[in-house]
Amino acid sequence: MNFALISLAVPLFAGLLLLLCGHALKTRTTGFLAIASTVVSLAAAWFALQTVANAGASIMLDLGGWETGLAIRLRLSSLSALLLLFTALMHLLIGLYAGFSRQGIARDFWHLSCFLHGSLAALWLSADLFNLYITLELLGLTAVAMVALSGKKAYRPAANYLILSLAASLFYLLGVALLYGRYGELDVLLLAPRTEADVITRLALLLMTTGLMLKAALWPLHLWLPAAHASAPTAVSALLSGLVVKGPLFILWVLWSEVAPPALAQQIGPVLGIAGMIALTAGGLSAMRSPYIKTLVAYSTVAQLGYALMALGLLLTWQLPQMHIALWLFVIAHGLAKASLFLAAGEMQSTLGTRRVDGLRGATQTVPVAMFAFAVAGGSLIGLPPSGGFLAKWVLLEPLLSEPGNWPWAIGVLLGTLVSAAYIFRVVALAFDRARINPPDTRTGRAGHWLALLPALMVWGMALSGEWLIQLLAGGGV
Amino acid sequence: MSAIELYLTLGVAVFLLSLHGLMTLHDPIRRLIAVNLMGAGTFLVMVSLAKRSAVPDPVLHALVVTGLVVAISATAFALRLIIAASKHDEENSEDSEQP
Repeated sequence: MNFALISLAVPLFAGLLLLLCGHALKTRTTGFLAIASTVVSLAAAWFALQTVANAGASIMLDLGGWETGLAIRLRLSSLSALLLLFTALMHLLIGLYAGFSRQGIARDFWHLSCFLHGSLAALWLSADLFNLYITLELLGLTAVAMVALSGKKAYRPAANYLILSLAASLFYLLGVALLYGRYGELDVLLLAPRTEADVITRLALLLMTTGLMLKAALWPLHLWLPAAHASAPTAVSALLSGLVVKGPLFILWVLWSEVAPPALAQQIGPVLGIAGMIALTAGGLSAMRSPYIKTLVAYSTVAQLGYALMALGLLLTWQLPQMHIALWLFVIAHGLAKASLFLAAGEMQSTLGTRRVDGLRGATQTVPVAMFAFAVAGGSLIGLPPSGGFLAKWVLLEPLLSEPGNWPWAIGVLLGTLVSAAYIFRVVALAFDRARINPPDTRTGRAGHWLALLPALMVWGMALSGEWLIQLLAGGGV
Repeated sequence: MSAIELYLTLGVAVFLLSLHGLMTLHDPIRRLIAVNLMGAGTFLVMVSLAKRSAVPDPVLHALVVTGLVVAISATAFALRLIIAASKHDEENSEDSEQP
């Protein structure tokens, strides 16, 4: 547990330090300090994962030594340790990109990314409904500040994002208040055995679900996402799409798989599953029709979150542990692939001097490495073997195909795959059109292109450690 | 209807009215005020829930205080963003008027 606390505290204190003394340091030193804190956090997360794997069960920590019921407890489960590791890894990869790509990044990026890392780590470790609200707010405020980094033209989308995010948090908070009023508990583990399927509980869960779905941009509450994610600086878009939307998803999972009574969870399951299926197709179609590269990638996030939502819905409907594995494999595979996709898109935009998809003609010749990263990461989104996306999709499809009654769900998954292939191949096919090339800016460094490739290679490497991941998640994660 | 029930209903009504405002209004400052009123409705519900026992429940009061801190800082941040955005919009419209 101590390692998990180190993994949480190091980025938090590094963020505070950089905020207070950052202006006395050079931008390069600031970046170096932020990346160093991420490396420490990554190592600590790895040891935390070892500890919890050896312990064989989740470890509880009562902060301040208060007795149970009064304490705000933290919980380190194998899932939260894995997510700690994943968060630190993503921050490391994106931090390296932000530090070395030629586009450069505002100095404020570094302390904000440290704060984002800290709030996500706190979110994965929290086991208290109100504590989860606080981490949700921290996450939202930091994310908005990071969107505003890209300058004056992003202020409007940032303000809209903030207002929606605040409203969503209040939905969640009202739900928490109702649950506390009904049961007098906020701790997830103490609340779980006591919940009943009565009107107040239903109302509270409905309010909280609405707020969380809005925050996680789950269909049909996703409309704010493309504007916010596409207007942020490249490195920030990667963090937002890869990590930030997964926070509310985690709370949604805690809420329905632990707090809610199983009878209610079985009722909501099919609804979430169908919303996920619609998200897959609708988000994919919007991505296919989008004229801008970054908007295409942002809509693809909406579509890919559909898989996660579907896995959650089916997990609740059938109470099948395999769906739990599929859900978190999707989250990790999508995070890595989407980071690569956004970084590659940003590099191609700045080298080719265009924001439009049409401008990518001949990109296989002019920006081969970035285009390769885009295609490889896209392959994982489609679910081509042996990528991480394939692994997740396989785990999801197996129980769907074995029962003829479940085939409608499988058709939804396959339709989603088809649409993702369509929007990825739309870009790749244009990039091979070498007859009318869009000339690149040749004066610039290409380090960023290689760094954009790194997460894509990792998501393909996920298949190699697939068995380890599945065994880790098979413990149920709690 | 007891006083607590009245306040609970009022809190929910304020929440719903301001939600309606958030969804129908376009001016960002008005939308921000709507979100703040949603917060006020939520806090009203929490405070009246706390008053159900003879000794008011301190946990809910602590939650309200924390929620107020979050609401105030977020509102300040949102106001700053909205002002900066509208200044930027004004500059752009002046630029387009003078070709």
